Amino acid sequence: MNSSLEQSFVSQLKEHQNIIHKICRLYTSDEDSHKDLFQEITIQLWKAFPQFRGDSKFTTWAYRVALNTAITLYRKKTKSINTIEFDSTIHRFAHDDYNYEEEEQIKLLYKAVHQLNDIEKALVFMYLEDKDYTEIAETLGISEVNARVKMNRIKGKLKRIVNP
Amino acid sequence: MDELDLLKKDWKKNEPQFPKISEQEIYAMLHKKSSSIVKWIFIISIIEFIALNSLSFLLPNDFDSKLGWVETFVRYSDYVSYAVAAFFIYLFYKNFQSISSTSTTKKLMESILRTRKTVTYYIFFNIAYVFLAGLLIIGSQVKLLLIDTHQEMKVVVGASLLLLVFLLVILLIVWLFYRLIYGFLLRRLHKNYEELKKIDL
Repeated sequence: MNSSLEQSFVSQLKEHQNIIHKICRLYTSDEDSHKDLFQEITIQLWKAFPQFRGDSKFTTWAYRVALNTAITLYRKKTKSINTIEFDSTIHRFAHDDYNYEEEEQIKLLYKAVHQLNDIEKALVFMYLEDKDYTEIAETLGISEVNARVKMNRIKGKLKRIVNP
Repeated sequence: MDELDLLKKDWKKNEPQFPKISEQEIYAMLHKKSSSIVKWIFIISIIEFIALNSLSFLLPNDFDSKLGWVETFVRYSDYVSYAVAAFFIYLFYKNFQSISSTSTTKKLMESILRTRKTVTYYIFFNIAYVFLAGLLIIGSQVKLLLIDTHQEMKVVVGASLLLLVFLLVILLIVWLFYRLIYGFLLRRLHKNYEELKKIDL
């Protein structure tokens, strides 16, 4: 592949790399797997890049490929045995209106999201990214109504985990 | 405010904490090897196609002309099996080409599973073929040994049993391979596909 294509890809990916980091954060539980998944997503994005026509936004296109990699294509090299303990070093609070109770609840919520299955995580991810149900449904290949129903169920599930 | 909206508020605040990957690091990643399951499925399927085609060489080809129609069957079925193999390899290639990370998640899963199914059907075809050919050969050998050369019953039974065991061992290996792929390689994909299908019921 020619170098100008490579250059354009690398600069766009660098700019939007947080999308991938956020997906890695939901789907992995330690730094090594985070890096590993980040790399696999980058490779898959690069492989698919020649088909990226620019008729959609780079980010919309990247969401799809990155989620597909995390849910379907990626093969974990090592299986993590430990249960996911959310690392508070990744998750620090820098804001002034520090609210202990809220912090605890958010910690619990992250833990709860980690317990969801791969598909539910994808729905939560897109919800957190402010995607509408049309895009969520289109990305996963399900109907909009069912995406909405599933999302409501996930909300219920999270509520039950956080407030048992 | 519901739980997810609380999370959303926090989600956006955390962005600056992610590690910054430099352009050099991204360049380096582009040239690393992928560990995607599609790659593994491709490699394993090619090995299976090669292994199954070499298996046909294990079947005896130098039949006594007295075997008549069995010999004819085995000779012609060789051509048929090559044609069938070519057809399956074409299907496999086409399915493999249709795997695209830009499809919807559901479509992507379906095309991976379809690619794998093609190979599985090919394996089933071969098992059936080896079984049929094996049984015919055993049958004709029994006839040959018993009627034409008046061998002892013991020898005949022994030879037939040996062939049967050989067939069963092949079947066992194929079955283990099948379990390995579906258990080890495709378990997660299968689980996620079922999950996605459940949503759309």
